Amino acid sequence: MDIKDFIAPFAVWKRAFEKPFTVKKPIDERPGAPRYRGFHINDAERCVGCGTCEAICMNKAIDLVPVEGREAKEGDSGLRPRVDYGRCCWCALCVDICPSGSLNMSNEYLWIDSDPDVFRYTPGVDKKPWDGAELGYRRAEGYRLLDEQRVPMAELGHREAVKSFLELVQGYSRAQAEKEADRCVSCGLCIASCPAHMDIPGYIKAVREGDLDTGLRLLYETNPFPEACGRICTHLCEGACSIGTGGDPVAIRWLKRYIADQVELSAYAKALPRAEPSVGKKVAVVGAGPGGLSAAYYLALLGYEVKVYEKDGEAGGMLRYGIPEYRLPYPALDKDIGYIESLGVTIKRGVAIGKDLSLSDLRRDYHAVYLSTGLPVAYGLEVPGDKHPRVLDGVAVLAAATRGEELGLGKRVAVIGGGNVAMDAARTALRHGAAVDILYRRREEDMPADADEIREAKAEGARLIEKSIPVEVKDAAGALAGKAALFVWNEAEMVQKEEGKRPVPEAIPGALREELYDSIIAAIGQGPDLSYVTEEDGVPMKRFKPLVDARGMASPGASPKGGAIFAGGDLVNDRKDAISAIADGHRAALSIDRHLSGKGA
Amino acid sequence: MDATSFAEALDFAIGREKAAVDFYRELAALASFAVQRSTLKEFMTMEEGHVAMLSAMKARGGLELSSAIAVDLGLAKALAADEKPAAGMSFQDILVAAVKKEERSGELYVSLAAASLNPEAKAVFERLVAEESRHKRYFEELYEAHIARDN
Ligand SMILES: Cc1cc2nc3c(=O)[nH]c(=O)nc-3n(C[C@H](O)[C@H](O)[C@H](O)COP(=O)(O)OP(=O)(O)OC[C@H]3O[C@@H](n4cnc5c(N)ncnc54)[C@H](O)[C@@H]3O)c2cc1C
Ligand code: SF4
Repeated sequence: MDIKDFIAPFAVWKRAFEKPFTVKKPIDERPGAPRYRGFHINDAERCVGCGTCEAICMNKAIDLVPVEGREAKEGDSGLRPRVDYGRCCWCALCVDICPSGSLNMSNEYLWIDSDPDVFRYTPGVDKKPWDGAELGYRRAEGYRLLDEQRVPMAELGHREAVKSFLELVQGYSRAQAEKEADRCVSCGLCIASCPAHMDIPGYIKAVREGDLDTGLRLLYETNPFPEACGRICTHLCEGACSIGTGGDPVAIRWLKRYIADQVELSAYAKALPRAEPSVGKKVAVVGAGPGGLSAAYYLALLGYEVKVYEKDGEAGGMLRYGIPEYRLPYPALDKDIGYIESLGVTIKRGVAIGKDLSLSDLRRDYHAVYLSTGLPVAYGLEVPGDKHPRVLDGVAVLAAATRGEELGLGKRVAVIGGGNVAMDAARTALRHGAAVDILYRRREEDMPADADEIREAKAEGARLIEKSIPVEVKDAAGALAGKAALFVWNEAEMVQKEEGKRPVPEAIPGALREELYDSIIAAIGQGPDLSYVTEEDGVPMKRFKPLVDARGMASPGASPKGGAIFAGGDLVNDRKDAISAIADGHRAALSIDRHLSGKGA
Repeated sequence: MDATSFAEALDFAIGREKAAVDFYRELAALASFAVQRSTLKEFMTMEEGHVAMLSAMKARGGLELSSAIAVDLGLAKALAADEKPAAGMSFQDILVAAVKKEERSGELYVSLAAASLNPEAKAVFERLVAEESRHKRYFEELYEAHIARDN
């Protein structure tokens, strides 16, 4: 044995009387550094449950879980991230990627417990002492894993735009589309907000990967109008996009358009499903708008023989006769319709049901009928003098523009109303060289038109006169009598008359205004023309609307008397936009198939 | 009108509601297609309900009508003076006629209440003013929701 071994224990004893190197309670005096990556904190109100944190975590430490008292809603899955500290390596990628910026880290790192289960919790939901911590890891100012800004879209300048009916939005190039598609985190929050529940992350991925055939196939799964919707859709999806919580939402609508624009019509058949063999049954569709034609497309795919009856000379409904070509050029719409017709759908143009044929004829001759006749009746101003020859209806003006007729609107035009029809009528009048006033009864923020439309109408030179209640139309004096009219309105103030209801415009006593106009275009609202439906058709109706059940069925019909009747689109739904009409048409096609085949009856 | 008592005042009101039933019945006779008739029938049934309600009150000898005046949406005033709907009447034509009719009834009861010397009759007319304001409001709301959606 070595002498050192003998002495060593005595040497250690010497240390027992020295000041120790460690402290008794080491943690108290050792807070985490200000930007230490400690336990997570989450602002559960700001979080939209997109799951991007879950997707990026390489340790699978995050799960999106349901949370009591929180329901899914538009743009919010209702789920929240739960973190498992048995797996987390504190890399903070989840914080860096979080689109809403709700997820952060406190600088707390000490948590002692003998129960391993507690180390898995939902920050911001399960209360913790470090909730609301000021210190800890935050994404550095200006540092983003995600690109906040969307790829800009080339558009005609406003001055240039009003000189012609050329399309305003130019569309993305391949490089631009792929860059924009890269911004999508595939969270899928957008799907629920789209009335047609399109597979948005799926087709955006297809753009990213340059697989446009797959993209087109995904578009057509629930929407046979991608060219049209890629331009004029109300894009509710973008309002729900999680990227929009911290920057510009992904340009979903433009990416849809990109796919449809890139694939030639002649190449569609290669990418899209073929029709099933004939089932030997016939369906009639009344109205060749987007709703009627969508129903026709999906019925044709299912093997039905479909004939669409359309009173106008061309198909497309309000997409053609309402929306002007600077927003939706006719060749783009023709491409969508052309593909539907290529499946064998027959469109009988210029045949009005109720005039040339009756609904009961259709019930007799077809196994089922789908009504998608929209809202063709323009409502009037209902003020004294509104029958003056210079008071025009907005939808008629737009339809005349589509037909290429001379509009003769004159130099000064008033448009009354604040919806889509009003904005399109105003911008059409601007393109015909008129000075345009838009008069609306409430405030700009109450206008039902798309905010972009309002902004563009103003940028193109329309003057918006808010809070103006129509009072009267008076004939112009002298030589202008019958050729121009005075529009009289009362300036209003918004009065909150009832709690919880929207404020009401109330005329300010004595504040009457009047202007002379060459044309006054009324665009206050439209209604249906249901004169073709008789009592014998057995369609229950309330307040000028067919009543339909959850399948879109209005009347089951009876075999000796005739086929069942389904209805949808603007005629029935409350949203009154193209994508809702398309979704209704798709639903009706599936319901008609189930009804006629006895499947799931 | 020379309504001197509760019963006479109610009789007068019942008469007006019956006239309203006839109003919709006449319009329905003019109508040329199904949805006009079903809409007018709905409104007619509502007026029949008012007749029944007032008749029951008269039988019980007590007026059970709220005195709460409905908020005026100001539409009736703005709408053009009556133009009797014709065969092709739209939903707008029907609703304008309905709003105007309720407005006229309300105005009539206002003047009857003001002219009534009998306190009982005056009270009845005042309640009827409130009742008609609620009817008018009902149609004004329909007008806002279905017709003037864009204005
Ligand atoms: C000016 C304007 C701008 C718009 N802008 C937008 C927009 O930017 N984005 C958006 O999403 N939506 C927009 N919309 C709404 C959109 O156009 C409609 O929601 C959509 O077209 C509804 O489709 P639908 O099939 O229900 O009816 P419609 O498109 O109205 O089609 C109905 C068809 O039925 C035909 N028809 C009617 N009665 C008969 C009959 N008795 N016999 C035979 N045929 C008949 C009509 O001629 C018409 O072709 C706009 C509408 C207008 C008027
Ligand atoms: S488009 Fe937006 S909402 Fe839709 S999947 Fe992509 S990131 Fe999510």
